[in-house]
Amino acid sequence: MLIQASSGLERLMAGSKGGVLKDSTVAQVSAYVYYNAAVISKLTTNKQFQSKFSKVIFEQIDKDFGEYIDALARSKPRSLHHVYEWKQAGSKTARLFHLKLVSQDGLSFKIAYSFKPSKSFVPAEGNYKRRHIFVDKANIMEMGQPLTISPKYADRLVFEVNGATVFMPKGKSVTVKRPGGPGVKNQFSLAHSRFFSGQLVNNSIKKSGIQRIFGAGMAKALRLPTNIKRVQYSFSPNLIRSQADASLASAFGGAL
Amino acid sequence: MTANYKLDAMLELRKFLWNELKTRNIFDEEDYWSDNLNENIIPIVPVQQTAEMNQFLSGKKHIVYDKIGMSYEDNWMICCEQILFTIYSTDFSEINEIRNFMTDQFRRMDDSARDINYWAGLSDKFKFLSVYLADISPTAPSEELQGFFATEVILEIKYARIVDGQGRFL
Repeated sequence: MLIQASSGLERLMAGSKGGVLKDSTVAQVSAYVYYNAAVISKLTTNKQFQSKFSKVIFEQIDKDFGEYIDALARSKPRSLHHVYEWKQAGSKTARLFHLKLVSQDGLSFKIAYSFKPSKSFVPAEGNYKRRHIFVDKANIMEMGQPLTISPKYADRLVFEVNGATVFMPKGKSVTVKRPGGPGVKNQFSLAHSRFFSGQLVNNSIKKSGIQRIFGAGMAKALRLPTNIKRVQYSFSPNLIRSQADASLASAFGGAL
Repeated sequence: MTANYKLDAMLELRKFLWNELKTRNIFDEEDYWSDNLNENIIPIVPVQQTAEMNQFLSGKKHIVYDKIGMSYEDNWMICCEQILFTIYSTDFSEINEIRNFMTDQFRRMDDSARDINYWAGLSDKFKFLSVYLADISPTAPSEELQGFFATEVILEIKYARIVDGQGRFL
């Protein structure tokens, strides 16, 4: 879009023919804008730059978001224990969630979360022969989806409730209306939206050092070539575009 | 000379916060007298100690804190930390009072830091550079403590530890 808009300047950069009085102003200002537009559009459409830009920001957000959820989970484990392995709420190494970059359009990108399968055994008191892994624990508890537990290998379910052993009738299943407890439904999603809709994500972007990493290169690339600073009555779009290429290569080294 | 590595900016901030809450009569320290310990307990407790404090703090307003994370800037003398405070009370208006005080006290960046630096109780080994209110959650019934309301306040602090000529902690 930027290239389309700036292409209208090519005519103005050509300067006016004939006439007694010649004025370089329109051509020169047009060349100035054209050069800046060329640098910015080349930069923002460059796949390598886009990838580096999103990677720098995403890595910081990923770190900060993880630490934020860990701290929340330590403070309110009943609400967020489900996105960690059993009895490890708030532990970085036991997380069952992760962020991922899902799409990129120019310098804009989308981040989504997903849940990882649980790999640890469901805690059980007593001496039970068969241990179970609740693989989709995080996802099901987050959704607040009722759960039906049926005997798979044994004839009946046997479990403990408040210290008493319950023997279910043969073949009967048990329904857990709110797996993970009443306080977990949508709690991760709520924390996620708080992080991404408030100041926390902005802080994270600032902290990523994006301005320091790319600011100096941008300033260098946008520095006007001397021929545009000189008074001229006409400018070559081809020359300006090649100067923008050269300037970007010099400013960002091998990154582009 | 060996540096005192037990000193921690988060603990200094906690001391400052408790002093302010007492001074402004938002908390009455006499409410937190422990017969067992024969002293007042500061009701601003680290999340790691909440289990052992639950009985003592039962029904009383209190604050639980935890460090979210810390990192150093390119200038390695400046440390940036985020601290999560969870305010608990059985009275909705008390939560609002504490939250509003923290907003008033800690949202002014370098001015908030200056207040801490001027406080006589601060260790002379720290200089706070800015304090920023990164996030406040709505007040809601707590899932952790039945009968309590809770709200979370996240502060971002930047500070420097006073160092010697080699850049080591004093």
